[in-house]
Amino acid sequence: MSDEHATDHDADSTDERTAGTGPLAPEEITADSPYTLPGFFSALADGELLAARCTDCGTLLVPPRTACYDCGSRAVTIEEQPRTGEVASYTAVHRPPSAFADLAPVTVAVVELDSGARLTGRVTAPIEAVSIGDAVELRVRDPDDVGIDPSAHLSYEAEWPVHEFDLTE
Amino acid sequence: MTDAHVVAVGTSPLGRTELPGRDLFSRALAEAFDGLPDPAEVVDALYVGAQSERYENQIMQGTLLAEWAGLQNVPAERVEACAAAGALALKNAVRDVRAGVHDAVLACGVEKMTAGGTEGATNALASAFDRALEQRSGVTAPSQYALLARRYLHETDVTETDLARIAVKNHGNAADNPRAMFQKAVDLETVLDSDYVAPPLKLFDCAPITDGAAAVLVASEDVAADLASDAVRVAGVGTAASSLSVAERDLTYVEGAEVAATTAYDDAGVDAADVDVAEVHDAFTICEAMLAEAVGFAPRWRGVETARDPADRSEGWTDVQINTSGGLKARGHPIGATGLTQAVEAYEQLTDRAGDRQVPGAETALLINEGGLADAHTAAHVLTAH
Repeated sequence: MSDEHATDHDADSTDERTAGTGPLAPEEITADSPYTLPGFFSALADGELLAARCTDCGTLLVPPRTACYDCGSRAVTIEEQPRTGEVASYTAVHRPPSAFADLAPVTVAVVELDSGARLTGRVTAPIEAVSIGDAVELRVRDPDDVGIDPSAHLSYEAEWPVHEFDLTE
Repeated sequence: MTDAHVVAVGTSPLGRTELPGRDLFSRALAEAFDGLPDPAEVVDALYVGAQSERYENQIMQGTLLAEWAGLQNVPAERVEACAAAGALALKNAVRDVRAGVHDAVLACGVEKMTAGGTEGATNALASAFDRALEQRSGVTAPSQYALLARRYLHETDVTETDLARIAVKNHGNAADNPRAMFQKAVDLETVLDSDYVAPPLKLFDCAPITDGAAAVLVASEDVAADLASDAVRVAGVGTAASSLSVAERDLTYVEGAEVAATTAYDDAGVDAADVDVAEVHDAFTICEAMLAEAVGFAPRWRGVETARDPADRSEGWTDVQINTSGGLKARGHPIGATGLTQAVEAYEQLTDRAGDRQVPGAETALLINEGGLADAHTAAHVLTAH
């Protein structure tokens, strides 16, 4: 990823926003904030997978946002997530969207991280090698190195990394 | 509050056609208004369900269809929640009539899905899923539902053969439906031998890419009486939006559908056991099983018994007949019109016009129309015979 994005993410300023006692102020919700997609992806480019944690009910939200979907509270904080987890479900996309045609069939899984947070992502193994419960580890890639058609990116997505999961056993 | 009634229905041919979206609408309108005054003499407002402008590069569908119906300077809007768009058009029409805002509202839906080929439809439908993490992982509609199906099979003794039987049942029903895209039965082997689209889902677990339009006229009791057409009452309405991403949802239960259906039942003063016929959103076979559980027809984990005759189902099942039309699987699934094609089937069942697929004495119908992944959006309607 570019140096520009590496410096967008400021870990110190992130920590100052993690009080989690109530709603964020409008001026806190900027492209530098991990509560927005640019902030989330710039942290991911640095190898940090971030979730919002609801300080009222404990729910983890990936990507982070300013309100908890589980209980409705806006008292959220940012928490770095483990990169390891296990497959909760999986499939293979035999006819993916055209931007992914070169990757077909695309193995896709819902992964539950060791923290309990879940996210969907590609798995770097054929479907025949995957089972529910398999251990996986998150890897962050430059989308241009993965084989996704770059013309499918929206302008603001061009520098965002993509994630994928490697089987680890 | 005024009761709202469905007083006329129509559909275009459903399938692969030469007609663009607006012409498909003209076909549906012509059927719905056969024997009635001109729409301009009856209709006060129009809603149109349409999934995507990617098919025909056309937004402003409300204005376009109002114009094509000969309606000048009326309120006319597109509504969108992917495949739930059609039922949302119906919901808005019912709301306006009940509130006395309008006396007659045309709910319509249209989708020209074949315009960009399979690739165009795949790309357009993928827009229904979370962009940030899931679209950028290469997901499609079948793959999102396959993630639910895989987990459901993992947690139960349900098999791919059980899912296949749902497709067999719906194709069998469509054989008796002159509106259906596939008016033919298929056998179990055909379903099981079809290619995987996203394991464990095969081609015959998936609803087809379909061109089509539907029009449903919703009116007050007075207008219904003036038109002297057979009417059915829209007795209950409920909608609910759940989460967009597959990762954040319960992989084996559609709570949003339970909420929407329960809201509609309460509104109508009925419960699940009162429902005689139901059109349930079987975009994929797994959907029909999960929805049967969520809306109170089936005990948990017994939804696949939807494929059986009511007498052969487990204790705790109601005797409802599901997807007598053939469902999305075999009647066809023109995304924005699907919720209204469900209403067309209910109208025909409740007015004793369903021909060889008529359920004798059907008095109460449930419509469940979903958009996005599973219950990302659910719209439920209860219709009752007069």
